[in-house]
This record gives sequence, C-alpha cells and structure tokens, in this order.
Amino acid sequence: MRPSVNRPPTPDVQENQEKEPTLQETINIKLIESGEKERLMELLRERLVECGWKDEMKAICRAFIKKKGRNNVTVDDLVHVITPKGRASVPDSIKAELLQRIRKFLVSAAL
Amino acid sequence: MSLPNEDNMASQLSSHFFGDLLDSIIVDVASECHRIARLGLDRNLEDEEEELRLSAQARVRVADPSNSGEANSKYVVDIFGQSHPSVASEVFECMNCGRSIVAGRFAPHLEKCMGKGRKARPKVTRSSTAAQNRYSRGSPVSAYSPYSNSTSSNRLSNGTSGVAGEEYSNGTFQEP
Repeated sequence: MRPSVNRPPTPDVQENQEKEPTLQETINIKLIESGEKERLMELLRERLVECGWKDEMKAICRAFIKKKGRNNVTVDDLVHVITPKGRASVPDSIKAELLQRIRKFLVSAAL
Repeated sequence: MSLPNEDNMASQLSSHFFGDLLDSIIVDVASECHRIARLGLDRNLEDEEEELRLSAQARVRVADPSNSGEANSKYVVDIFGQSHPSVASEVFECMNCGRSIVAGRFAPHLEKCMGKGRKARPKVTRSSTAAQNRYSRGSPVSAYSPYSNSTSSNRLSNGTSGVAGEEYSNGTFQEP
C-alpha cells in the first residue's frame, strides 16, 4: 500500500508501545470530550474563590515573593510553595461536593 | 448493587480526578501571582518597599546634623541641587499698571494695584450680580453663591474677591 496519503491502521504498524488505554485514561477522555471536566473545574474554581482559599494561596505567594524578591521567582517555585498547603486546606464540603459529582459522572459514563 | 471493589475503584478514580482538577487550579493561581509579581502590578509590594526605603533615608537625613537649619539659612538647596535667594530679585513689568516691580514684592503690589486702586473693590456689583444670576438660573455654582447672597457688604467684598480673583486669573482684567 502506498504510505503517503492513507493513514496507517493504528495499533499494528506502530510499535506496540501503546497498551490499551487504561480505565483512567478512557474516563479522562470522556470527561474532556463531554465538557464535564471544564464544568467541574469552573465549579471548583468558583467554590474555592468563595471560601477564601484562593486568597489564602495568593497571600502565601505574596509572602514568598516578598522574601525572595519579585524578579527572582518562577512559576515552579510558587507551585511548590502552595501545593502542599493548597491540597490540605480545601474545605471538606467542597471536596465532598466535587467528589460526588465526579462519581455521578463515572457511573453514567462507565455504563 | 455495587460491589465494594467497584466502590473502592470509583472512590479512587474520583479522588484522582479531583486531585487533577485541584492541581490545574493551583498552577493557575501560581501563574497569576507570578505574573502580578513580575509585572509589578501588586502596588502594595512596591509601596511597602518604597516606604521602607524612604523612611530609612529620612531617618538618615534627620540624624545628620549638618543638614539642620534649612529654615534659617538664606540659601536653601532644592532637589536639583540649585540654591535660590529667599527673596526673588528679578524685576519685571506689572501687566496691570505697567510699573516695574521686584518679583518678590509682586504679590503685595498686586493686592494694592488690582484691589484698592482708588476705591475699595468697585468690582463688587459686577461679579455679585453675575454670581446671583448664575445662582438663580439654578445651575450648580461653586462657593460663590452663598457669599453673593449675604447681606453684609464686608462679606460681599470678601466673597467676591474670591470671584474677582478667579476671573482675573482667567485672564479678564477689569479696570478698578
């Protein structure tokens, strides 16, 4: 077969590096394609702003920036600075709400 | 209905995706703060630094004895390092009366030249009626109107001196 225009059939021609997509990946794709991931992210963003979490994180960033000097800071620095506190300080109610929504999606998508 | 295994897996997956979302949001927040910091948009940060620096400078200046007595000395040094005599010495022509006036004496001269002349403020009528007209027309006028409505002539002259002064500064010179 001429290789130019036709796309080679997917798993065979390439090296079989790609295993079958994991469940996680499949669901991720479904989340994105259906737009649910975006909606969930916006919901989480909104909730985190409402409860002051974002302001807390920004304050931590500002303190770090003041200490280190504003021209010496990288995005990476800031991510590392706020990740542990950020993950730990999400209010339980918000976490529960999001988890429930995700679960609902999983149930509907997996069937 | 749902096996505990399934439940477990569902919980795990949910947590995984939640963590995913949270990480994305954390990166967004970090990126935003980074941008604000690098662009210098956070006024507070700069203001504080500026304040600290200025107060440190001021403290040094106050502590330094050689800088004191600026009020006493005749020659003060300004921010460009120039010094001026305390009384301005340039002579020029008054645009009202045409006399040659020393700049340092110009203000008191103007008071007499424009204000008294021969009588005390004959301009009173003109500007007070003008102000009254403006007021009666209902347009919002500045502080002139209360003055123009007061009865005592002293108040009038004081008030309209403000008016007159204003009008003069707008470039209309009237004969005293």
